[in-house]
Amino acid sequence: MATIETTGLTKSFGDVHAVEDLDLTVEEGEIFGFLGPNGAGKSTTINLLLDFIRPTSGNIEVLGIDAQERPAAVRRRVGVLPEGFGFDDPLLGREYLEWAIETKEADDDPDELIDLVGLTGDADRLAADYSTGMQQRLAFAMALAGDPDLLILDEPSTGLDPNGIQNMREIVREQAERGTTVFFSSHHLAEVEAVCDRVGVMNEGELVAVDTIEGLRESAGGPATIQLECATPPTELGVADLDVVTDVAVDERTLSVTCTGASAKVDVVTHVAERAEIVDILSESVSLEALFNDLTDGGRDGDDADSEQAATEVAQ
Amino acid sequence: MSVRTVAKQDFLSARRSRALWFATTLFALLAVLIAYGSQGYRLSATEQVQNTFRSFGMVLAVLLPIVALVASYMSIAGERESGGIKFLLSFPNTRRDVFLGKLASRLAVVAAGLTFIFLAATAVAVARHGAFPVGVVLGTYLVSLLYGSVFVAVAVALSSAVGARSRAIGAAVGSYFVLIVLYLVPTIRITALVQWVHDTMLGMEPNPHLYDAVTYTSPYIAFRKALNLVLPTEMQQEVFRGSLEAGGELPVYLTDEFSLVVFAVWLTVPLVVGYVRFEGSDLE
Repeated sequence: MATIETTGLTKSFGDVHAVEDLDLTVEEGEIFGFLGPNGAGKSTTINLLLDFIRPTSGNIEVLGIDAQERPAAVRRRVGVLPEGFGFDDPLLGREYLEWAIETKEADDDPDELIDLVGLTGDADRLAADYSTGMQQRLAFAMALAGDPDLLILDEPSTGLDPNGIQNMREIVREQAERGTTVFFSSHHLAEVEAVCDRVGVMNEGELVAVDTIEGLRESAGGPATIQLECATPPTELGVADLDVVTDVAVDERTLSVTCTGASAKVDVVTHVAERAEIVDILSESVSLEALFNDLTDGGRDGDDADSEQAATEVAQ
Repeated sequence: MSVRTVAKQDFLSARRSRALWFATTLFALLAVLIAYGSQGYRLSATEQVQNTFRSFGMVLAVLLPIVALVASYMSIAGERESGGIKFLLSFPNTRRDVFLGKLASRLAVVAAGLTFIFLAATAVAVARHGAFPVGVVLGTYLVSLLYGSVFVAVAVALSSAVGARSRAIGAAVGSYFVLIVLYLVPTIRITALVQWVHDTMLGMEPNPHLYDAVTYTSPYIAFRKALNLVLPTEMQQEVFRGSLEAGGELPVYLTDEFSLVVFAVWLTVPLVVGYVRFEGSDLE
């Protein structure tokens, strides 16, 4: 049974389709990254999953429970880190957390959760006086209360310092190892790349890709580059005549080849190896960022010249 | 019981609200001043205290709705604006739990404040005049509780139906104006207005009972009528002069007892409407 399953899910605000005909399946135990630029419909989808807003059409099942009919039953088994929450009441961090544990009818030790998210020593201060990052940590601790079967994290790294992000990633991984499904929305590519098993990419209310990161890379269009350092200057090897090669450059003993896709690199290496001695191979994989830009047409900034450059950038 | 956890958290934070403590203390001081200063002409000790609570009732009629509205108008709209509602609903709470929890908490806040104010007033009045007319004191207290609850219900209902602070303020001020001020300012005479519409515009036979019945829809009028239920006859107010002048027996819907029906309607209808709206809305 899938942990999250939406079929034909549509949410319109007036004429604007925030989410359109979304079929999303998140399997049990996986860390699913939900990626997209601002306004792609990520938060709207999460709000729908939690019944904060009601769909225009379509169905949502979370943990096999209809999200509209029995929202409280869903919430009993889900830990949520919502986006744009508020800690406005004059309550201590510890009190918020205790409330979370009590509401979940759980028996967690508040101090343990406080230590886990790195708020040791700050629990007895007013949560309203916390910094954004500390509030995020507290919210994360509250989400972890009651050992949920599904964690829904909406832009979890907002306001966190690098240590906080690192810590959160570790906790997410630990949770996943214990069988918790994690649904993770972000526009932070690195974050998703670092923790997620599978990724879904949203753009303008539609799911434009769902795959593993490897799979996405694999299927990523666009040119791939490979550099081969050879023992002797690699001239007249006939590399340019290969169908998959679009560009060749030779600089002393280094051969730079641009080919149509990642898999074409193998052909290039095989071809060269048969004709010359290869000393070193430097292969540059297509980054998720380039992919992301590809899939989302550069997001909101798609018309800028920058995104053109970003789309062709490659990771180390 | 999620209603309880929502209410408990809300009550705890309300208890720490400096503004609420300030307002309650101020109100209690006012009550003490009234209790101390109230001095009727040629009255027995018991009558003095009864008279004190009668005056106190008049003040409550105007001020208690303000306290109740201020204590409740942000109850749900505030959570919607700050995103706190997402927290409440990220946990195993239904919207019904949030609605009822907030309502219960704010009712408790206003009841606690009112109790404090009454204790202060009673202590001073009893100490000053040396008499304790339990019936009038307790009766005024209970009627005030009911009156305060009406405004908590109205404010929570309005608060759940709007999504932002600014609109919640508007709704609270608007309801005070429509439910109290219109009946309070002597030169605005709702009865005269109704009479004009009914007799002149629609050209119907004069019907003084009807004019008064229209004003009876105000909880302010209902409160004044309800106080008659607990005050001794000679201290009661004749709220519906028009019907009295017309002579004859008052119809059931203009009796003092009917004020309880008016309260009951105000306690339920806004809540039902507010809840239905809240249940169906998108909370972003």
